[in-house]
Formats: sequence, structure tokens, C-alpha cells
Amino acid sequence: MNEDKLWEIRAFVYQHFAETTRPPLVDETVSRFALTHEEAVSAYEELHQRHALYLKPGTHEILMANPFSGIETPFKVRANEKIYFANCAWDALGIPVALHADAEIEAACAQSGETIRLSVANHQVQDSDALVHFLVPFREWYDDLTST
Amino acid sequence: MNMLFFQSEESLNEWLASREVARGAVLSIPQLWELSQLWYDNRMSLEYHGRTVEQVQEIFKKLGLISEFWQMI
Repeated sequence: MNEDKLWEIRAFVYQHFAETTRPPLVDETVSRFALTHEEAVSAYEELHQRHALYLKPGTHEILMANPFSGIETPFKVRANEKIYFANCAWDALGIPVALHADAEIEAACAQSGETIRLSVANHQVQDSDALVHFLVPFREWYDDLTST
Repeated sequence: MNMLFFQSEESLNEWLASREVARGAVLSIPQLWELSQLWYDNRMSLEYHGRTVEQVQEIFKKLGLISEFWQMI
């Protein structure tokens, strides 16, 4: 599969998340691009290897394409009259940015469990006393990196 | 465990103590919003293919995230 097609499939995954709140199944990518099942599976595997998206272990179902989660999480984002799930606190703010949309975010304090609500309106976040803590230095886990 | 919300410094400190882990980096919500804008603004684009180490470092530098925690190398 050529590079252009691969990145078109990546873009389709993201567009599918935006439009439906969930990732496309392999068969949906087959239909969209008139691929064989094997070609679509191969594309998903290649995008997973490049960390452009992440598959659920042992499957060809998309677990996440940051900032979007393919499964329910404690980080709920209401935008465009839909409910999305983010992978973490950072991704919770990343969803309205990626969508270029206003949003209401609902999550919880990791210590107390108290609900934390954040509002994004007119492409600005309303200030809040909440904090975000990053436990692990970026270099130790971030791998969505291209080679120079 | 990596990127979590806390309602206050006090809650964060309690959480760190209970898990006996060292404090990492803390951002306010406005800071995280700025980071998110630089990080995710073009994420839906066909042209987005990931970032180099240098591009990541440049984003952090632009936001004043220059402590050792934010160094990529």
C-alpha cells in the first residue's frame, strides 16, 4: 500500500471518530477505500506500528487514536451534540481542540473522586482550580515520533 | 496513572503520598489548554504524520516547559 493511501486511511479513522465518536471497523475501511480485508488489516497494523493509532491487543479493533478513545473512559467530552471519550486529562482538552468545537468536559479528581467539569466556549477554556499532573516524563513514554 | 485531573494541590499531595510516588509536572487548566492547542490543532489533518523529537521539544519550549521533566533527550 502506498504512503498516500495509508495516511488517507489514518485521516478516515479520525474523521470517523469525529462523526460517530467511535473508530471504524476494518470492514468499514474496506468499504470506504474499496480494499480487500487483508489490505485494510495490513493498513491498520502498519498505522499501529507507526503509533499513528493503537489497536486493542490481539485484535484489529482500534483502541485509541489520540485524543480519541475507542472505549468508554472516565474522561467524558460532550461536543457537537455527541459524547466522546478521551484517554486522559490532556486528551480531554485535546478533543475540543482537534474538533475545533466548544465542549463540556466531565471527569473526576483522581484522589477524591469529586466531579471536575470544564467548559470550552468560543474556543477558550473557562479557568478552573483543577490541576493536571503528569507522573512520567514525556521522553519515557511518548512514541508518536517520526524519524528525522 | 500518567495524566490525571486533581481538584487541588492538597488532593494531588494526598494522592502522591498514598502511592509513594514522586511529584512529576503540574499544569493549570489554562496551561494545558495552550499545550493542547499546539498539540492537537491539526490532528485531524491529512498532512499530520506525527512529530520529530525536535518538533515536540519546540512545542514545550514555546510554552515555557523547559525543566528537566520536559526534556526529550
